[in-house]
Amino acid sequence: MSPNIDNPAYLLTLLTGGLTNGALYALVALAIVLVYKTTSHINLAQGEMATLGAFAVFELTRRGVPVWIAIGIAFLLSFALGAGLERGLIRPLERRGVFPVILATLALFLIINAGVAIIWGTQPVEAPEPIPGGIEDKVDVLTGPPPFFVTYVSLGVLAVLVALLLGLWLLLEKTKLGLGYRAVAANREAAQVMGIPVGRMYMFGWGIAAALGTLAAALVAETAGTLDFNSMGVILIFGLAAATLGGFDSVPGAAVGGLVLGLVMAFVPGLFTVVEGDLSVVIALVVVLVVLLVRPQGLFGTKTLERV
Amino acid sequence: MAEALLQLSDVHAAYGEVEVLRGLDLEVGEGEVVVLLGANGAGKTTTLRAICGMVGTRGSVRLAGQELVGRPTEWVIRQGIAHVPQGRGVFGSLSVEENLRVGAWNRRDTAGIQADIERWYGVFPRLAERRTQLAGGMSGGEQQMLAVARGLMGRPRLLLLDEPSLGLAQIITRELFRQLEQINREESVSMLIVEQNAELALSFAGRGYVLESGSIVLGGTADEVRGNEDMRRAYLGY
Ligand SMILES: Nc1ncnc2c1ncn2[C@@H]1O[C@H](COP(=O)(O)OP(=O)(O)O)[C@@H](O)[C@H]1O
Ligand SMILES: [Mg+2]
Repeated sequence: MSPNIDNPAYLLTLLTGGLTNGALYALVALAIVLVYKTTSHINLAQGEMATLGAFAVFELTRRGVPVWIAIGIAFLLSFALGAGLERGLIRPLERRGVFPVILATLALFLIINAGVAIIWGTQPVEAPEPIPGGIEDKVDVLTGPPPFFVTYVSLGVLAVLVALLLGLWLLLEKTKLGLGYRAVAANREAAQVMGIPVGRMYMFGWGIAAALGTLAAALVAETAGTLDFNSMGVILIFGLAAATLGGFDSVPGAAVGGLVLGLVMAFVPGLFTVVEGDLSVVIALVVVLVVLLVRPQGLFGTKTLERV
Repeated sequence: MAEALLQLSDVHAAYGEVEVLRGLDLEVGEGEVVVLLGANGAGKTTTLRAICGMVGTRGSVRLAGQELVGRPTEWVIRQGIAHVPQGRGVFGSLSVEENLRVGAWNRRDTAGIQADIERWYGVFPRLAERRTQLAGGMSGGEQQMLAVARGLMGRPRLLLLDEPSLGLAQIITRELFRQLEQINREESVSMLIVEQNAELALSFAGRGYVLESGSIVLGGTADEVRGNEDMRRAYLGY
């Protein structure tokens, strides 16, 4: 047991830290789920595409573009890249089976990773700061001792997650585009005979996923303070774990899965001193395995309801 | 002679290397109900898929004179075809009402769509009771009614139905066919129906075809098909 177990400031710090990291995993998990729902593919390059997007933000801000405008531009460019990759690379390969698609996303992973390293180098660069991230940019909650405060970055990351979930909900549940997307996700062939342009729904899923990833990577970089060509490597694993936890085809599941994972990874090493911090990947995977043993479809995954 | 609404001439269709349709000819006139009979694996489902551009197809499929072969499915559907697939294929994770809205995908007339939704709720009250429920949780009969109503939401000129009675109780099947007959009579929606229940289908259809190994072996009026000796032995069982 940690000696700080009865210290409220310590526990609250674990809580906010866990939620902040969890929100970042949730964003990556959302990207993975949005691709998976319609196309049934897992894009292994999701994290690297996000890193590329974050470097686009970095490059734009370095040239004097205000950071949120830079994020907006990178968001749109990422959407175009995601949609374009689906149309130009994934769909032609899909006819040859699932395996070529997996290989293609793996190849993309390696190519983008190397490409970023070649263009921007292997040394970390200073991350753009969409949210004020100085020492004084915080809300003091407990004056202490010991004090407890929440940084603007933590609040901002959580606010972005909430805003995105709300936006996604409106888009998927309240628009015709969203209806088409969900119809394709529910039954691809039936959607096709309803006249829905199925291919365009795939592109939409890939595009929105890539755009979300870019936003996630920009925030990951800000919380880490720096950005480098491997920034999203481990985050992708946590995102995959969060998506699995939530049930691979569920948008709310991805959000909850990410937050749960973040909290577990903050509290378990924080409270039990035997568990070293760098075992966090192991903890994440153990949590996922335990949930899957109890509920194979994940926390929110769809059990098939169709009766024959 | 004026061309029929739907005209299939020398249609070949294949899944990969395996040719399933081998020179099929078939037509459905304006306002007509035509039934397509045949044993399991004869190629009935594939015929409907060929019409909708869902399988590699050669030959000619024309709707009101317009060639459909080579066009993407969404384009074919926009020309006024609705396809109720075999095994229903409702969107299980969407509500009943959302399923109906998807059926109206190509329509822009919001008021008309709403009016049609209410109309089908009137025809199939079970759907009205379950409008906010997920379609996947409904019984087979309810899902079939939803699939038919969803197809009609597109206000098609031609309705393709693939084994609508599959898995339904007799009484529900009868009700469904009564509804189809009414829709055909009142809206002059033409229909091409694939059906195992040959007796029932022939009592409703004007003409029938029998498909065997990918080509038509018999075609004629419902009475002619019913009266054919081989046909009776193979499909009607008397
Ligand atoms: N997706 C497919 N891939 C390969 N072969 C298929 C496929 N669908 C159907 N077939 C084959 O095509 C033939 C005709 O099938 P189908 O059109 O479904 O027959 P029916 O509807 O008359 O029972 C069958 O031999 C079937 O095995
Ligand atoms: Mg069939």
